[in-house]
Amino acid sequence: MDAWIALARGPLFRISLAVCLLGLALRVGLELYRVVWAWRQAGDKDLPTAMVLRTTVGWLVPVRLLHARPLYSSLSLLFHVGIILVPLFFAGHVALWQESFPLAWPTLPHAAADVLTLATAVAIVGLLVARFAASSSRALTGIHDVGILGLLLVVAVSGWLAAHPRWAGVDARSLVLLHVLAGNAALLLTPFSKIVHCVLAPFSQLVFELGWHFPAATGRHVAVVLGKEGEGV
Amino acid sequence: MGIACSYYLEPVDTRDLPRRFLEAFAAILAHSNYAMVLDAASRLANHCGRCAESCPVYQASGEERDIPCQRSELLLRIYRRYFTPRGALRARLSAPFELTEEAINELAEEVYRCTACRRCKLECPLGIDHGLITHLARWVLAEVGIVPKALRVATREQLDGKTRNTSAIPVAAMVDTCQFLEEDCRDTYGFDIRFPIDQVGAEYVFFPAVSDYLLEPDTLMGNAAVLGATGASWTIGSRYFDGINYGLFYSDRMLDRIVSCEAEEVRRLQASKILIGECGHASRSAKFFVKTFCGGRAAPPVVNIMEYTCEMLRAGKLKLRPHAIAERVTYHDPCNIARSGWIIDQPREILRAICDDFVDMAPRGKDNYCCGGGGGTVSIDEIRKFRTLTGGATKAEQIRRTGATMLVAPCANCKKQLREICEDHGLSHVQVVGLHDLVLRAIEMPAAETKAKGGERE
Repeated sequence: MDAWIALARGPLFRISLAVCLLGLALRVGLELYRVVWAWRQAGDKDLPTAMVLRTTVGWLVPVRLLHARPLYSSLSLLFHVGIILVPLFFAGHVALWQESFPLAWPTLPHAAADVLTLATAVAIVGLLVARFAASSSRALTGIHDVGILGLLLVVAVSGWLAAHPRWAGVDARSLVLLHVLAGNAALLLTPFSKIVHCVLAPFSQLVFELGWHFPAATGRHVAVVLGKEGEGV
Repeated sequence: MGIACSYYLEPVDTRDLPRRFLEAFAAILAHSNYAMVLDAASRLANHCGRCAESCPVYQASGEERDIPCQRSELLLRIYRRYFTPRGALRARLSAPFELTEEAINELAEEVYRCTACRRCKLECPLGIDHGLITHLARWVLAEVGIVPKALRVATREQLDGKTRNTSAIPVAAMVDTCQFLEEDCRDTYGFDIRFPIDQVGAEYVFFPAVSDYLLEPDTLMGNAAVLGATGASWTIGSRYFDGINYGLFYSDRMLDRIVSCEAEEVRRLQASKILIGECGHASRSAKFFVKTFCGGRAAPPVVNIMEYTCEMLRAGKLKLRPHAIAERVTYHDPCNIARSGWIIDQPREILRAICDDFVDMAPRGKDNYCCGGGGGTVSIDEIRKFRTLTGGATKAEQIRRTGATMLVAPCANCKKQLREICEDHGLSHVQVVGLHDLVLRAIEMPAAETKAKGGERE
C-alpha cells in the first residue's frame, strides 16, 4: 500500500501536474492567439475595454452572483472558495507541492482547512441536489456536469476522512491513496473538461464581445464560397 | 406544450439540406470569428440554468427548449461534431450525432422563439452570449433558405426592390408625407417644422425606421421640431431613407449590405454623420456595424436622435416646458440600445424635464425585459399569439405594475409589439407613444429661427 501511495504522490502526481499546467498554458496561449487574430480581423477594432474589464472583474469578484438562483449561486461560491483554498493552502498539500517545487508559502490552520473541506463537500452535494431540483438546470445537466462534481466530491470526502481516520472505519492509507488518485485525476482532466474555466473565464467577456466585431469582408467572402455573389435577397 | 412559434417560409429546397447546411456553416466559420465564440461556449458552459432564470420567454413558457443554454446547444452539438477534432474522434469511436433535416427544423423554430434580447448574457457567470450564438444560427439557416418570410420579403424590397425600403414607400410618397407633416404640425401645434430632402453638405443624414412615415407622424414631427429648434444641419436622403436593418436578425451578409446603403447615402450627400430615429435595432445596427463594414474608424459616426435631443437639452439649446405631460408616464428600454448601457439615462432625463409623474419600470435599463417582439419577431404577424402571450407576458406585468397610462417606447418595433401586448393583456387604457411624441407637446419653438434655418426642399 505504501508503495502505491508513494507512486501516486510521486511520479503520478508530477505527471498529472505537468499535464495540467502544460494543458492550461496551451489553452491560455491558444485563447490569446485567437483573441489577437479575431481583433486583427475585426472591421471595428475599437473594443469597449472599460466595460469588458468591469464585467470580467465583476464576475471574478461575483457581485451579480445572487441576482439569479441565490441558493445555487451561494453554494457555488462556497464550493469555489473551498476548491481553490484547500488544495493550495492546506499544510499537507503544501508539503506535497514542496516535494516537487522548492517553494514555501503560508498554510491554512488545520481547523480552517477541515471546515473548508467539509463545506466544499456539502456545497458539492448541495449543487448536485439544486441542479436536479430546478427544471431549468435539470434539463441541461449531462454526465459531464455530474461526473466532474462527483470526482471533486470524492477528492474532498476522501481527503477529510484521510485526515480523520477514526470516522472512516477503513484503513487510512487506502483513503490517502484514493484521495491522491482522485486528485491526480482531477488535475489530469482540468485542461480537457469544463474545469478549464479556471484559466479561460478571465477571457470570456472579451471573447464574446469580440465575437460581435465581425471581419469587414465576412459576408462577401461567404457569398463567394457559396456561389451567391450578385445573387438577390 | 406551450404556444408554437411557426412562421411562414418561402419555398425551401430541402434536397440535401443537411449537407448544404454544413457547407454554409463551414463557409461562415472559415471567414469569421465565430469559431472562437463556439469553442469558448463549448468549453465554458456550466449548464447552471441562470440564463433560464433571466429569460422572459422561458419564464412565461417554462419549456426546456426555451432555456438559452439549451438553444445554443442545438448549434454547438453540430459545431462540435463536424468542426472539431474531438467530434471527429468521437464519431469514430461511438454512434455519433448526425445532422438531419429534423434537427435543422428544430433549430429553425428555436432560434426564432428567442427575441435576441441578450438579457441572459447579463446573468451568465462565464459571459456566454447566447444572443450571439442564436444570431449565428439564424445566419447559417438563412444561407439554406430558412428565414421567416416577413423578414426576407422586407429585406428584398429594401436591397433589391424599386423603393429601397422595407415598407415599400415610394420616394414621392415619402416626400408627400413630409409635406403633410409640415402642414399638420402647423395646424395642430401652431409652429413650423421642415423636413429637408437631399440637402447636400448637411451635417446629419436622418434615417428613421421607415414605418414611422406610415405609422408614427408625431414621432417624426417631434424629431423635426427638435432638429429645427436647435438649428441642426440635417437632411433626409431620397435615394435611401430607411433605418430598419433586418440583416441584424438573420444574416451578416444582409447586415453588411444594409449599413453600406446608409453609408453610401451619407457619402452621396457629402454629409458627415448618420442620425438614426427612434428605433432600437436601427440604432444598434448602424452604431456598431457601420464601423465594422464601412471603413472602421473612418466611417461616419452614428448618433441616435435621443442622444441628440438630450445633448441639446443639457446645453440649453432646447427649451422644453416643464409639466407639459400630466399623465403617469413610464418608459420601456429597447434592448438594442439599453442592454449594452448605451442609451439609458438620456430619455429619462428628457422625460423628467417634461412629465409631472414619471415612473420607472422594475427592472430597468440594462436589466430591462424585452417587449417580447425583439430579434425581428415583431414583424412576423403569424406568431403574434406566441409573441404577446409568451415573450410579452412579463413585459405586460411590468407595465401593469407601474400604473402608467402612457408608455414611452422609442422604437418602431417595440411600439408595435407593446400595442399588441396592451390589447392582448387587458391594458387597452395604456397609450403607447414615442419619446418625441411627448417632446412635440412640450417644445418651445423659436419660431423665427425655425423658418430661417429649416432649409428649402430641392
